[in-house]
Amino acid sequence: MSVAAATHHADAHHGPEEYPKDEYFGTASIGKIGMWIFLLSDALSFAGLLLAYGIMRGSAAVWRHPAAPELGWPAEPSLGINFTAGLTFLLICSSVTMVLAHAAAVEGKRKELVRYLLLTMLGGILFLVGQYQEYFGLWSHGLTMEGLVFGHSGYATTFFIITGFHGLHVFTGVCYLGIMAIRSAMGKYDGGKHNSIEVLGLFWHFVDLIWILVFTLVYLIPV
Amino acid sequence: MAHVNRKEYWKIFVVLAVLTIIEVAVAQIPGIAKGLVVSALILLAVVKAACVALFYMHLKYETRVLRLTVALPLAVPPIYALVLVSEAAWRLLP
Repeated sequence: MSVAAATHHADAHHGPEEYPKDEYFGTASIGKIGMWIFLLSDALSFAGLLLAYGIMRGSAAVWRHPAAPELGWPAEPSLGINFTAGLTFLLICSSVTMVLAHAAAVEGKRKELVRYLLLTMLGGILFLVGQYQEYFGLWSHGLTMEGLVFGHSGYATTFFIITGFHGLHVFTGVCYLGIMAIRSAMGKYDGGKHNSIEVLGLFWHFVDLIWILVFTLVYLIPV
Repeated sequence: MAHVNRKEYWKIFVVLAVLTIIEVAVAQIPGIAKGLVVSALILLAVVKAACVALFYMHLKYETRVLRLTVALPLAVPPIYALVLVSEAAWRLLP
């Protein structure tokens, strides 16, 4: 059965939309399976970045470099664990609002759906503001001013590549959430048409999941 | 029926928050052997990631085939990491 037919089927019942049962994938929609396959390939990209980081860090004689006066470089700063733990908590909160948005979509509550999508988006925006503060400084010195400079060391370069690639995902997620919030407000997912919101949720939770691993491997593991 | 369980979502939220606090504490309390700290941190992160995937991404409620489609390829990089770590550890033995 085509997706359009399946959607029509759901409309006919006025309940949450259901997809026809497949022998192997149950009632998972084509969109959901597609998003999982994308996330899988994205996860392997992160795996590549993290493995390279681990190998470099594991075999480096010096990871966090002391000052190099002959180059005019200050000692490299350590990463702020407590501030980043706050950002981690922020992403966990935004994952909760995301599942609550999906729950609202299943139950056909449009206002609640839009409100939770906007809250999730706010979590993502605050995370990006936090990351900007961490990199460049908004209310206090950023890491770049304290001597963590892209290209100066494996420590600095892997840090900016990994957290930057993740930040790009947060930015993508914020745009995706914004578009879906507008479409939800227009009533496109009324009447229990929750599948597109669940697929959006998969992307957003994945961003949270990757951050959990990045937070541990890049920030928490002591030098 | 699409899976919705608000009680479960909040339970997982509490688990994630508590594990994050434990992580931050483990990483900063002095005097624990480094190998133990690293193993504990990685274990905590894997548990947190699994919670997000199983409950928030509803993987727990998908079919076996979809779960394996996701889990099997993702098992390969950690195995590679483990091989590299054991190789380095073996080399460093006296």
